[in-house]
Amino acid sequence: MKAQTVPPNTMQRLRRNIGKALHHGDRIWQWLTIGAGIGVALLLLGIGWMLWRDSADARSAFGLGFLAPTADASWNPVLDKFEAWPFIYGTLITSAVALLLAIPISVGIGIFLAELCPSWLRLPLGWMLELLAAIPSVVFGLWGIFVFLPEVVEPLGTFLAGTLGLLPGIGALFAGPIPASGASRLAAALILTIMIVPTISAVTRDVFLAIPRSQREAAYALGATEWETISQVLVPYGLSGVLGAVILGLGRALGETMAVTMVIGNSIGGAVSLLRPGYTMSSIIANEFAEAVSRLHSQALIEIGFLLFIVTLLVNMAARFLVWRVARRTPQEGRA
Amino acid sequence: MGKKMFLVMTGLCTAVLLSACGTAAPATVEVTRSVNQTVVVTPTADPNAAAPLPAGSVQINGAGATFPLPVYSAWTFAYQYVDPSVVINYQGIGSGGGKKAIIDGTVDFAGSDSLLKDEEYTSGKDLQMYPMLAGAVVPIYNIKWAKEIPSGTKLPVMILDRQTLVDIYNAKVVTWNDAKILATNPDLAEYLPGEAITAVHRSDGSGTTEIFTKSLTAFSPEWTAGGASAVEWPVDKAGNGMGGKGNQGVAAAVINTPNSIGYVELSYAVSNGMSYASMVNKAGKIVVASAESMSSAMSDFAGSFSEKLTADIVDAPGALSWPIAGYTYIILHTENMSDCIKAQKLLEFLRWALTDPGAAKQASDLGYSVLPEDVRDTVLGKLGEVTCNGTVLLP
Amino acid sequence: MTNTASSTHFIRARRGYTRRRTANAVMLVLTGLTTALALIPLFWIIGYVVYQGGQYLTPAFFTELPTPPGTEGGGVWNAIQGTILLVILAGLFALPPGLLAAFYAAYYPNTPLGIAVRFSTDVLAGVPSIVIGLFLYALVVVVQGHFSGLAGGIALAILMLPTIIRTTEEMLKLVPPSLREASLALGAPEWKTSLQVVLPAAGNGLITGFLLGLARASGETAPLLFTALGNEWFDFRSLIRSGLESGMNPLEILVRIIEQPVDSLPLTLWKYAQQPYPERIHQAWAAALVLMAFVLAVNIFARLWILFRARRMKG
Repeated sequence: MKAQTVPPNTMQRLRRNIGKALHHGDRIWQWLTIGAGIGVALLLLGIGWMLWRDSADARSAFGLGFLAPTADASWNPVLDKFEAWPFIYGTLITSAVALLLAIPISVGIGIFLAELCPSWLRLPLGWMLELLAAIPSVVFGLWGIFVFLPEVVEPLGTFLAGTLGLLPGIGALFAGPIPASGASRLAAALILTIMIVPTISAVTRDVFLAIPRSQREAAYALGATEWETISQVLVPYGLSGVLGAVILGLGRALGETMAVTMVIGNSIGGAVSLLRPGYTMSSIIANEFAEAVSRLHSQALIEIGFLLFIVTLLVNMAARFLVWRVARRTPQEGRA
Repeated sequence: MGKKMFLVMTGLCTAVLLSACGTAAPATVEVTRSVNQTVVVTPTADPNAAAPLPAGSVQINGAGATFPLPVYSAWTFAYQYVDPSVVINYQGIGSGGGKKAIIDGTVDFAGSDSLLKDEEYTSGKDLQMYPMLAGAVVPIYNIKWAKEIPSGTKLPVMILDRQTLVDIYNAKVVTWNDAKILATNPDLAEYLPGEAITAVHRSDGSGTTEIFTKSLTAFSPEWTAGGASAVEWPVDKAGNGMGGKGNQGVAAAVINTPNSIGYVELSYAVSNGMSYASMVNKAGKIVVASAESMSSAMSDFAGSFSEKLTADIVDAPGALSWPIAGYTYIILHTENMSDCIKAQKLLEFLRWALTDPGAAKQASDLGYSVLPEDVRDTVLGKLGEVTCNGTVLLP
Repeated sequence: MTNTASSTHFIRARRGYTRRRTANAVMLVLTGLTTALALIPLFWIIGYVVYQGGQYLTPAFFTELPTPPGTEGGGVWNAIQGTILLVILAGLFALPPGLLAAFYAAYYPNTPLGIAVRFSTDVLAGVPSIVIGLFLYALVVVVQGHFSGLAGGIALAILMLPTIIRTTEEMLKLVPPSLREASLALGAPEWKTSLQVVLPAAGNGLITGFLLGLARASGETAPLLFTALGNEWFDFRSLIRSGLESGMNPLEILVRIIEQPVDSLPLTLWKYAQQPYPERIHQAWAAALVLMAFVLAVNIFARLWILFRARRMKG
C-alpha cells in the first residue's frame, strides 16, 4: 500500500536513509491511522448492529405490523402491545410540511446569496444563516414554548382551522381546534422549518456557486433576463444538487429531537390533524426510553431508533450522492 | 412563592422511636445560607459512631418518581448538614424510569409510586419497596372564563364527581360547559366556556399516573384503559390529549394551555398556586385534598399492607377521604448492594427521613402526609433487615 | 458579483419585454425577501433570549448549586462544570481517532478504506443524536451499570467526530504536497512528517474545526438523556477534596469524577423549561443565554479566524 502512494524515488531514499527504529515508528503510525479509519467505518456498523440486536424481541413479537399504517394503532404498555404508526405518521407529516415550507424559502436564499446579492453582503448573510443553524435545539424549544407557540402558532392554527379546516378532504389535516398553548404537530413543523432552512440554503448556495460561469454567459448572450437565466438554465443544471440539499434537510428534520419534543404536545393521537398534539419517532424515544420498564416496551423504542437510523442513513446517502454528482460534473474552471 | 424556611431539627438517634429524639436536645448548630434557608442541625448523637468520613465522600445516586421530588429535594438538601459525608443525587425521571434503573442496577435506590410487578421482582432479584410518604393526586385546571369575573369576587373551586373525571379522560365530556360539569358546579355555570377540554397526562412512565388510573378504574367500569404507570389514553385517540414530562411537566403544560385539565401531586399544585378541583368521593361527600382527607383515606385502608409492604388507597370509602391517593416508595436491593458504606449511609438517610421531626415537617409543609406510626415502624423494621455481604447494616 | 445588466441591454423593444422585466424584478425581490424572512427567527430568538436571560443572570447563577424546586436562589454551577467535563471528555475521545482517520482519508483517498472512512463520516454526521444516545446506553451505561459523564462524553465525541474528520481532511489537502515531500526527502519518517510538519501547517484550520465541533457538542441534549442523566450535586471541588481526604490517588479521583452522572447546561435547560416553578423558568432563560452566547461566540470566532487566515495567505 505504501509503495503505491509514496513516489518510488522517495521510498528508495527513505529506505536508504532511515534506520530500522524509525521505520518501525512508521509502521506504528500506519497501523494507527488504519486502525482509526477502520474504527470510524465500523462505528456506523456497530450502531446499526447494536440497535438491531437489542430490538430482537420486539421485531419477532410484532413483525412488520409494527410499522403498518393503521387508523387505530395501539401503544399500550399495560398490554405490552406496540405499534409505531402514530410516530411514523408524526415524523412524516411534520417533516413533509417543514420541507414544503422550507424548499421555496431555502432555494430563494440560495439563489439570492449565489447570484444576486452584492458580494460584500454574501459573507455576513451566510454567517447569519450558519449561526441560525448553530443555535442549540433546546433553545429553539424554550423560545418555542414561551414565545413562538402562543404568538404565532396558536393564532395561525385558529385561522387555519377556520379556513382550510372547513374544506372537504384536505380539511381533515386542519381540523381544529388547536390547543390554546399552540402545542401541536403544526408547531413542530414550523420549528423544523426554521431549523432546516439554513442547512438547505447553504448547500443550495454552494451548488449554484459551483455552476460554471459559461452557463450563465451563454444564457445572457441569448438575451435572457437574470430570472430566466436562473430558472431555465441554472436551476435545471444544478437540480440534482438542489435535490441533494433538500434531502439533507429532510435528514435533519427526521432526526431532530429536543425542540420537537418540547413543542409537539406529546400525545399518541389517533387524529390526523396538524393542529392536534402528536409525537414523532425521535420524541417518543426521548420521552419514554428512560422509563420503559417492560422489555418489549424498551425494545419497541429501540426498534423505532433502528428505523430512524436506517431511514436517515438512506436519506443521507442519497443526498451525498446527489450533491457529489454535481460537484464531480463541474469542470475545474469554476467561477473563481 | 418567595422565600422558604427550612427548619430541620435533626438527630441521628440510635433509638428508632420519636420519643428518643424528643428528649435529647443538645446544642444546635445553625447554618444560614445566602438563599435564606435556615437549617438547624443537631450534631449526631450516636456515641458509637466511627470517625466521620470526609465531607462529600459518599455519593449516592437515586432516580425515579417525580411525585415525591419536591420533598426528596428538600430532604437531600437538608441532609448535607446532617451528615456532610453524604451527597444524595435524586433525579426525577418518572417512576417507570426509577424501576427500570433499579432493575438494571444503574442507580443505588429508586423512587416509585408505581408498584413493581411480579416479573419485575423476579428480574430484579432482591428488590423491596418501602413506603415513605403518602400523597394526594389532584385534578388541576386552567380555564379562560367565559365571562369577566366581577372585581372583588372570587370564583368557587370547581367540584368534580368521580364519573365526570372518568368521562373527561375518556373524551366523553369534551367541553367545559358540559352538563355533567355544570351539575356539580352551579355557581360556575355562567363562567364555564364552551371551549374544548385539553386533557393533560404524563408522557413518561409514572406512578402518579398509576395512582390516577387506578382511581379511574375504581371510579367507573367505563374506564377500560387499565391502571398502570403508562396507559393508552382514550383522550389521546380523540385528539384532545397532551403529554407532559414529570409532575412538573404536567403542571407546566396546564399553566401554558388555557382550558386544560391535568393531574399532579398536591404539592405541585400548592407551590405553584394552581387551581385544583375538589372531588365528590365514594361516600358522596365533597372533599378537598388536604392532610385530613389524606389521613382519612389512609386509615380507611389501615392494615391493608401486603407482605411486600405495598398498599393501594384509591377510592377510599370514608366520608372525609380523598379519593385519589397513594403511597410513594423507595426501592432498594436488600442483599446485593455493592458498596457497604454507601448502603449504610443510604439506610441512615432513609431512617432519618422517616423519623426526624424536621423531615416530617418539611414533608407536611409541602402537602405530603407522613406514614401512620404503625406503618412507619414496620418499614423501619424492614429496613433493619437489609444486609450487605451478609451483615445487617442498621444496628 | 458579476455585472450582468450590460448583457441584457440588447434585447430592448422586444415583445413581452416589459412582462419579462417585471417577472424578473418580482422574482429577484422575492428571493431577497426569503432571505430576510429566514433571518427573522435568528434575531427574534437572540433578542428574546438576551432580554429574558439577561434579567436573571446573577453571580449566584454561575457559582451555586441548585436549591430545591420552588425556592429562590441557587444556580447551575453543577451544569456548568458538567458541560466543561463532558466537552473535555468528548474532545479527548474524538480528537486522536479523528485526526488519525483524517490523515488516512486525506493521503489514501482512493483505497477502499479511504472511501469507507469518508462515506461513514458523511453518513455519521446525519445520524440523529438521540440514536447515538440509545447506542451509548447499551454500550456503556448497561455494561458499566450506571449513568455517567463518561458515557455522555463518548456520546458527544461520536457527534463531534464527523466535524473533526471532515475539517482535518480538508485542511490536510490544502497543505502544499511539496512541504510533505520535502520533509520525507530529508529523511524524516512519515509520522514525524505528519505530526511535526503537515499538522502545524494545517493547524489553524484544525483548531477552528475542532472548536466548531466542540460548540456543536456543547449544545446537544438528546444523547445525554440516557447517558449523563443529570446530577444536582456535581462539583469538582468537593469531589476532589473528599477524594483526597479519603486517601485516593489522583487517578482514582479522576475515575470517580468521570463515573458520576453529570448535568450539562442544555440538559438543565431542558428540565427547567418544562417546570411550573417561575424561578426554574427564569434560570432556564439564563441558561439559554449562557449556552447561546458560548455557541455563537465560538462560531463567530472560528469564522473570523478562517477569514483572516485566508486573507493573509492570499495577500
